[in-house]
This record gives sequence, C-alpha cells and structure tokens, in this order.
Amino acid sequence: MDKYTDPATWNSFNPSGEVIVALFVIGILVILAIVVGILARRADPLKRPKGLLKVVEWCVEKLDAFVADIMGPGFENFGGILLAIIPFLFIAFTIGITGLPSPINNLAVPLVLALVTFALIHFTAMRYNKGKYFKRFVDPLPVFLPINLLSMWAPLISMTLRMFGNGVVGWVLITIVNNALESASTAIFGSVIAGGASGIFLVPIITPVLHAYFDLFSGFVQTMVFVFLTCLFIAQERPDEIEQEAEMGSRKEAVK
Amino acid sequence: MTDVGLKAIAAAIAIFGAGASSIGEGLLVTKAIDGMARNPEMYGKLRSSMIIGAALVETCGIYALLVAILIIFVM
Repeated sequence: MDKYTDPATWNSFNPSGEVIVALFVIGILVILAIVVGILARRADPLKRPKGLLKVVEWCVEKLDAFVADIMGPGFENFGGILLAIIPFLFIAFTIGITGLPSPINNLAVPLVLALVTFALIHFTAMRYNKGKYFKRFVDPLPVFLPINLLSMWAPLISMTLRMFGNGVVGWVLITIVNNALESASTAIFGSVIAGGASGIFLVPIITPVLHAYFDLFSGFVQTMVFVFLTCLFIAQERPDEIEQEAEMGSRKEAVK
Repeated sequence: MTDVGLKAIAAAIAIFGAGASSIGEGLLVTKAIDGMARNPEMYGKLRSSMIIGAALVETCGIYALLVAILIIFVM
C-alpha cells in the first residue's frame, strides 16, 4: 500500500513538482488577467490602447478572427476559453527551459486539459441537439451501442496522450543526452580539472538545440494542434440548420 | 535469454511504429511542397497546414517512442 492507496495519508497535501509548477503558472496568469482587467476598465475607450493593453487587444482580435475562420457561425464568443488555455499550455510546455519540471510531464495536467475539451464537446452537442443527443449512441442500429460507448472516449485519450507523450519524450531525450554529455566531458577533462566540475563543458553547447526543438518548437506546434482540434471537434457538433440559416442571412444581405 | 534482452527486443518492436509515421510524414511533406510549387501564392497557408498535419502524423511516432521508453524504464 503506497501513499496513494493508503487512506491515512489522503488528507496530507503532498503534490509533486509538476503540480506545484502548474499552480505557479496559473498564479502568474491569474495575476496578469486581473491586471489586464483593471487596465481595461480604467482605459479611455476613445483613445488608442497602449502598452500591455495593446498587446492583449491584438491577441483577442487575432483569436476572434481565428475562431470565426475555423468554427464558423454559432460560436462567436468562443475565443474566451481559448485565451485561457493557450497561454497556460504554451508556458507549461516551454517552462522546461528554465530547469523546472514541465507540468505536461504529469499525466494529470494533460488529462484535465483534454477533459475540458471533452466536456465542451458533449455540452455543446447537448445544447444544440437537446433530446436528439442520445441518438448518437445507437447511431446506425441499437446493436452498435457498446462500440459507440467505447469510441466516445477516443478523442479524450488521444488528446491526453499526444500532449503527455510529447512532453515526456522530449524530457527523456534531453535527460539522456545531458547525462551522456556529462560523462563524456568527465572522461575528457577529468584529468585536467579535478572534482565534479569537469562535467559541465559539453552540456551547454549541445542541449540548447534540443531545448529549442523539444520545448519551444514542439510546445508551440502542440499548442496549435490542441487548439485546432478543440475548435474542429466542437464545431463538428453544430447542426446543419444553423449553418444554413447563417448562409441564407449572408445571401440576403448580399442581395440587398 | 534474460529479462533485459526481452525488454530490449520488445522496445525495438515498439519503435517500428515511428518508422511508419515517418513514411507518412514524408508523403505529407512531398504533397505539400508539390502544392506550393504549383501555386506559390498559397505558400503561407500550405505551410501552416503542413506543420499542423505533420504534428498530427507525428503523434503516432510519439506513441511508439513513449511505449518503447515505458517498456525500458518502467516495466
């Protein structure tokens, strides 16, 4: 019986390093959001925004254009949750550069992020389809009920493992290369410099490249993919009538 | 045969998935470059879709690498 299955240790708060870093990142983002909120409330709407507010307004504008481009009609104010998820995900991926443990390396963090998407998909489907929502489980025939119940979880698992795999694989490869370089450096310079200091010469030359690829580039691409997939999965749940109505509306405007 | 040898063989079999995903990635980039050469004004759009598609295809290879690493270090 370890510390997770023994009920006597449940009430002691003993999080791992990744969870502490995740809470730290959330704290920074919450403070930033409060500051931006105060700035936005105090700003004069008739003047040009400047400083931090300008950056945030640019981000919101771009994100709204992105959502309108990908998701189409019916999701005009969907950018808010993306503006909450994108900075957290990107910082969580790239904080590995500083030497802190990346929150993505703990399976709980990607699982929670994917659960948010999963819940959004199904709540959107319920909101738009009402009672017809349950029809999807018996889609062609009632015989397919167990298969449909299983395949319902596929997006959740694939999104979780995509993020988790990317983070963990990058971390493991960087650690292996670090250790190999350290022992190589000790073997080369060990006779010149005594003690443990001889292991530091090769590491700073080669690992920055790996950090740039696995943390920065991979983190950016995985953030993009997560957001893209979230948008596509949710936009898929919109019934066709809304799209047709929107198309008819734009046609009527064009005729006028 | 020892346990460590069996684990190494299992990890080597698991990493075959990465080979398959890299074939897919090669096909994807070929087609994307083909499209870019045919109409260069679509270059920006094609490049961003190509990167997102490559990340999606790469997922399979990442799963294979993750399984291999788990077999070696965890099992």
